Amino acid sequence: MTRETAASPPVPTAHRHDARVQYGGAKPPTHRNLGLTPTWHVGALAAAAGAALVLGVWGMTQVDPLRIGGAGLIEALPPAYFVALALSLAGFVASLSLRRLVPALLTWQLLVTVVILAGADPIIHGLPRLEASFRHMGIADNIAQSGQLDPTLDAYFNWPGFFTLLGMFSGATGVKDIMGIATWAPVGINILMLAPLLALARRLTANPRHAWAAVWIFYLSSWIGQDYLSPQAYSFLLLLTLVACLLSVFGGWAWPTERTRFSRWLARSVSKLDGAVPRQGVMEPPRADAAALVVVCALILLAMTASHQLSPFAVIPILAALLLTGRLRLRFLPVVAVLLPVGWLLFAASTFLQGHFGQLFGSLGDIGANSLGALSTRVSGSDAHMFVVYTRMAEVALVWVLAAVGAFVGYRRKAPWLAAAAGAVAPLVLIPLQPYGGELLLRLYLFSLPFAVCLAVLPLMSDKTAGLGLRRALGLLLMGAVLATATVVSRYGNDGMESFNDDEIAVVNRLYSTAPTGAVLIEAVRNTPWRFQHYADYDYRALVAAEPIPNAPPLSCDAANQIAHKAGAYLIITESQQEAAELRGSTPAGDLQRFIATCATSPGWTKVYENAGGVIFHIEGVSNGN
Amino acid sequence: MATERSYVSYATAAVAIAAIPLSFVGPEGLRLAVIGLLMLAGPGTALVLVLRFDPPRSAHATGALPLSIAIAIAFSLAMSTLVATAMIYARLWSPPVGVCVLSIVTLAILGLELRRPKHVLVRAK
Repeated sequence: MTRETAASPPVPTAHRHDARVQYGGAKPPTHRNLGLTPTWHVGALAAAAGAALVLGVWGMTQVDPLRIGGAGLIEALPPAYFVALALSLAGFVASLSLRRLVPALLTWQLLVTVVILAGADPIIHGLPRLEASFRHMGIADNIAQSGQLDPTLDAYFNWPGFFTLLGMFSGATGVKDIMGIATWAPVGINILMLAPLLALARRLTANPRHAWAAVWIFYLSSWIGQDYLSPQAYSFLLLLTLVACLLSVFGGWAWPTERTRFSRWLARSVSKLDGAVPRQGVMEPPRADAAALVVVCALILLAMTASHQLSPFAVIPILAALLLTGRLRLRFLPVVAVLLPVGWLLFAASTFLQGHFGQLFGSLGDIGANSLGALSTRVSGSDAHMFVVYTRMAEVALVWVLAAVGAFVGYRRKAPWLAAAAGAVAPLVLIPLQPYGGELLLRLYLFSLPFAVCLAVLPLMSDKTAGLGLRRALGLLLMGAVLATATVVSRYGNDGMESFNDDEIAVVNRLYSTAPTGAVLIEAVRNTPWRFQHYADYDYRALVAAEPIPNAPPLSCDAANQIAHKAGAYLIITESQQEAAELRGSTPAGDLQRFIATCATSPGWTKVYENAGGVIFHIEGVSNGN
Repeated sequence: MATERSYVSYATAAVAIAAIPLSFVGPEGLRLAVIGLLMLAGPGTALVLVLRFDPPRSAHATGALPLSIAIAIAFSLAMSTLVATAMIYARLWSPPVGVCVLSIVTLAILGLELRRPKHVLVRAK
């Protein structure tokens, strides 16, 4: 074994984990002769984290959602929230500075930070974030109720793994409404990610303090909000575990390094670049256990493949990078990682492939359109929204600059850096494939972040195993504070459109109780918390997408009339649709209010229901006498 | 340490056994807790107990403890997903039966642990 903690008591290695035996003689161990941290220090830091939790939660309960504007949640958060955040950050850095690391304390502090940073949805809004959460609940409900897949409905039914999991859970427990689970999902998923993140960081860094700090930086800079009830969050959890397991158990070269000229050159180059500790802390299980773990890794890959379109393809370059840097000795695994998603696409998702071939491969090789093109469409909207967008870009740039500097520092210090750098850069090879609905760069940031943070801590921390110096502790705290504040802006920058309220849910419920099964349901702007039930029972339409549209034309009643022309339709306009339209610039400013006022008096339009959250109109069709 | 391992084994077995009847009938809260725990960590915990990433104090040194927890969760979720997906593609959709399969898998892996020599431990460099 390597070392028990960052600053282990100075006892012989062979008996280190049995200190009681070692010191069982005349003089009992004390914190002075062992160099341990007094218990009250640990207790005080734990209590400070508890105070931060209480203050942070209380601060969030004081938020008035009506004050959330174009810049998102940060406008409405009270000072108490930021005091709590600062307290949690300072407490964590103080714990990292202790002579002896206390994993339980660090875990507790990270959990507090997770609740403060990711708990806004359940605590402030009490509802799931993002309309996609509601759709995902609806798909799970559809599968649980019908026990069948209809791959023609949409792409989700071609990669149904995650939804069948939810469906089985719902069906076996008798819980029909998983709204509560979806609401708390961001907190729960971040907590579940703690173990794999830590396991991964321990393999990519040489120092336990660096590993803990890397996980902390991950939480502080993970702003893209893919931690809701989604196949992406689920697959990312599996991906982290897969890579951590491979690095822990199957590290090393996949071939004899002296076999060919290329393998000799590769091994020499890797050794020259990063000869630190390529097998640091690698476990050596018995052969049968290793074989079992290979099967586990293959099953994790298969589950990921069945659940998500993108993640399995992100695994491929990561595994290839680890293979080429001598950190993965299972040479067949990258091949399996290619065969599984390609095979799934060809056989299980063939319905989707046939209908969307152009969409899937139309942008193949168009690096500009898939990266900067997709990015430029997001740099638009109101001034407040532009502030959020620029904060996001600055935060990504900061993390990447820190990681690049960290790679250089690691090289100079002869600390392990190459595997982390390879893992961080590898997902970028997906850029030429396709834009993934304009979200590819966001997802690639997510995939590379666990690796990048292991590099980002290197310039901020020394290699010393015993505590942090005051200067470095302050530097780390400052960096943490900058990232955390930026994340509050960037993660919740779209809170006005991504969060919903009970009034909106009431409008949607009224819509379902009013509209007969099979009716056409229209949303003015694609941002409605619906489809969490009756996923396939209605014909769902939208007048405009919640995407930036340059010089967006005003909405016309005719657009809705045309859809309703044959058999009539129900139109729903909610508060969040208006927020989305304003924030993203999908319609001209104030256009939805004008649209409602104008169309309400149109022939054939009847207001069915209205509350503070939105309004429902019934539009008569030809068959209804219009 | 061996005692802790036994407690975890007994708890895992208890959850797996309790999940079988609860997947068909029972109070909603209890079904939610037991079946949720089984799907989240049942088969994986059994697997990790068989693999034995021990002893716990060295686990902090090598990252074996977080790795064990990560594998326990990821393997359980993966198994749950694969069982559910297999049922839906085979047109044999029955969530209670799926949970029973997971329970049996968990108990079978725990059974392997009983047959395993007690001295086998993972070495960590």
